[in-house]
Amino acid sequence: MWQLDSETLITIITIIGATIGIVIGCIVPAIMEGIAVQKALDGITRQPDAANDLRTTLLISMALLESTAIYVLLVILVLLFANPILDRFF
Amino acid sequence: MVVLSPQVVFTLFSLQITDTVVSTWVMMLLIIILAIIIKRFKPDLGEMIVEFINSIVRSVMAEDKDVTNYLPILGTLGIFLLVANNFGIFPRMVSPTANINTTIALSIIVFFTVHVYGIKEKGLWGYIKDFANPIFILPLEIVSQFSRTLSLAVRLFGNILSTDLIVAIVFALVPFIAPLPLAALGMLTGVLQAYIFLVLASLYIASAVEIQEIEQERRELKNIIKESS
Repeated sequence: MWQLDSETLITIITIIGATIGIVIGCIVPAIMEGIAVQKALDGITRQPDAANDLRTTLLISMALLESTAIYVLLVILVLLFANPILDRFF
Repeated sequence: MVVLSPQVVFTLFSLQITDTVVSTWVMMLLIIILAIIIKRFKPDLGEMIVEFINSIVRSVMAEDKDVTNYLPILGTLGIFLLVANNFGIFPRMVSPTANINTTIALSIIVFFTVHVYGIKEKGLWGYIKDFANPIFILPLEIVSQFSRTLSLAVRLFGNILSTDLIVAIVFALVPFIAPLPLAALGMLTGVLQAYIFLVLASLYIASAVEIQEIEQERRELKNIIKESS
């Protein structure tokens, strides 16, 4: 068994955590956006007159949903490239 | 990390001037020159741009109301963001909005604009009273004011930074044709985010300004119901 020093250990743990985090943080908003698009398409096929209103609302809500995934990405980027634990103690 | 922390280009009187600031200066120069050219040679194009922004803002705030009061700041934000989000495609330039300081400054501008317009429309006491209409809603309102300012900044920053980062990573792997579609996707995201920022800013202003009208309508409706029963 090799001896890992604590810096390497923390880096490995960070990478594993970041990977799990970005996977979950991508899957959930993607499913929710799919549901939103599905409902909007239903609405458009039912009432083609309301397509313009629906499109605007859909774009805004998609951006709002997308931003949750972006928050996850930001946290992961901070973890990977500006890790507070590694910066402070090593 | 190069992308997360801006590089210092030169120091001026012991102030560190980063590449974000230099890009913003170049961008300001570009926008001003374009505006002068449009004003001098193509006035109808300028009119078209103003009409376009006006139609966006009106579709969000109110179809029948006059929104000319709010147009200068919203149009400035829209044009600035439209250029700033796509400015990273020029060589040796970075998108100013890929730095969190720029986006936080923009969202603080939106924050104060919302309150100034709200106070101007309803008076100071009326505006504060609308915050605490049932009294227990007051802490929620205050938290939502700050959280939406933060999310406005972080959304724009994260979107622009992530597309820039993806292009940079693919460019490091395959320097030829491969980054082009991703750069095009990044430009699409930039235009969409500028639109979203504009729409959200006008939505916040509308929600600060127009609560009174809804209240009045509700009161009139109540009176009508009372009279009829």
